[in-house]
Amino acid sequence: MRALVVDDSRTMRRIVANVLEGLGFSTTQAADGQEALDALQQEGAVDLVTVDWNMPVMDGLELVTHVRKNREWRGVTLMMVTTEAEQSQIVRALAAGAHEYLIKPFTAEELRAKLDLLGLVPVEETA
Amino acid sequence: MSLAPDAFAYVAELVARRAGINLDAGKEYLVESRLQPLAQRAGHTRVDTYVRELRTGEREADVRAVVDALTTNETSFFRDGAPFRALAEHVVPALRGADGTLPRLRVWSAACSTGQEPYSIAMTLADAVPDTAVEIVATDINATVLDRASQGVYSRLETNRGLPTPMLVRHFEADGTGWRVRDHLRRQVTFLRHNLLDAPPFGGGFDVVFLRNVLIYFDLPVKQAVLDRVLAAMRPGGFLVLGAAETTIGLDDGWERVPVERGAVYRAAAVPSLLTPTLRSFAPAPIAPLGVVPSARVAAVPLSDSVRGESR
Amino acid sequence: MSTDVATDQVLLIARDVFASMIDGEDGHLNAWEGETPAVEEPVHAWVDLFGELSGRAVLTTATATAHDLARALLGLPADEEVSHEDLVDAFGELANVVGGNIKALMPDAAKLGLPAVADTVPLLEGALRVQELALSWRGRPIVVELWVLLTGGGQ
Repeated sequence: MRALVVDDSRTMRRIVANVLEGLGFSTTQAADGQEALDALQQEGAVDLVTVDWNMPVMDGLELVTHVRKNREWRGVTLMMVTTEAEQSQIVRALAAGAHEYLIKPFTAEELRAKLDLLGLVPVEETA
Repeated sequence: MSLAPDAFAYVAELVARRAGINLDAGKEYLVESRLQPLAQRAGHTRVDTYVRELRTGEREADVRAVVDALTTNETSFFRDGAPFRALAEHVVPALRGADGTLPRLRVWSAACSTGQEPYSIAMTLADAVPDTAVEIVATDINATVLDRASQGVYSRLETNRGLPTPMLVRHFEADGTGWRVRDHLRRQVTFLRHNLLDAPPFGGGFDVVFLRNVLIYFDLPVKQAVLDRVLAAMRPGGFLVLGAAETTIGLDDGWERVPVERGAVYRAAAVPSLLTPTLRSFAPAPIAPLGVVPSARVAAVPLSDSVRGESR
Repeated sequence: MSTDVATDQVLLIARDVFASMIDGEDGHLNAWEGETPAVEEPVHAWVDLFGELSGRAVLTTATATAHDLARALLGLPADEEVSHEDLVDAFGELANVVGGNIKALMPDAAKLGLPAVADTVPLLEGALRVQELALSWRGRPIVVELWVLLTGGGQ
């Protein structure tokens, strides 16, 4: 499965990409909404995009809106990963079309639990 | 550091007497880990010495603390997923009257722990049948977890597990960095302290009973006795939901297995005349009296402690 | 205007951030016992808050500690050097996450600015310090401050 990690902080991109790779995703990164759109256009749809909210050039909310407008990207799951923690912000993001929302800070386990809800974790058979 | 056999035997007997729970050989690690924090708080480095002290004093508060520590169960919102889907997609439609309506629904969440299960039931029903008057009775033997449950406040970590964000914003309100179940849902749930070995003190007539991951702690005679009491508390044709790996093997045919995806759902025999639950004789030693924990309806919503910023 | 952010809430936020992103477990970040210590060779990371209420959340620690924090965030081994760029990005992101969570407790602070990192924090005219929490991360001091502009409006 493929994921695109979008955040203006290189540190955050590394942290999220590491967790996703540990769960079996192959990842690419983008530093703002515009770079993310360009990446999707060039490399095609991915299974998951993690989206930071506050970014220069194009913020996360705008990115989500654009992605949801494009029929070709209907199968793309959008998860906000952001410090915006107010309920009103969460409602706005969901209304714009985000499927899930993770507030920073988060543990690898919480990210995994969210992906599990979305059916994006490869099922592990534990004895 | 393993627990001394006599300490383990004492605790096992205590828990069997008070809660009907069967801790057989091999569960020493469980007793050790659950009692470690209590031992530390009492100033003991070893659980053995703590238990020895407990035996000599046998103060009610200490005994209760030990029983509580061993009856606390891990829970989370929408744990296992499938039972809640089954509730909305199978149970609710089956319970509708001939006219297709479902004016009310009475649910019992037994061994509800910190409350995520009854609130998950409330959320499922609020979304599936918003016009139905829902009453949920949530019980547990452990007063500490019930107190937490009745507050209806959960941390970000607790709500990040198993709860889809759209449900979170629909059914919760932000409370500092945590979340509080919305009032109209909290009002649907009544929390009561109850021992499964006792007859339900709150009347019966339940349409649905959730009894998940509790029976595994009991040995067969106790299991049967509990199920008999549950059956007696249900309306004919009511549904019983067990934990994912649980079944009613070895019990009488008061129950019919319902085929749902990955769920252990059973239906009580629909015809009242066939329902003759035999309350098997079970003679436990006297059980400590239980009280009633204030229900979610009356618990005041705690205001977060805040210090007004002042210019210095 | 009150900020309504209690010291124990800030501590809770800091604990959460460190347990999740830095240490991988609880227990290494606690309130500093006693008076707020002087920080040697301090480096600061801050984010500004804008809205009806404006202000600034600042993290201060020793330069060596900041390097270790960056290493922890980036998953680098103890002896690997941290570039200045990486330090600024990592320590800045830490202030971003802490500041963002503090902002969520302040209904009148709507927006968060981009993080900045430097050895001195520029003056925020008219601001008053409403919160100062000294923390101990594995025995090393980290100070969190919250400044609030009493006159409304942002920069």
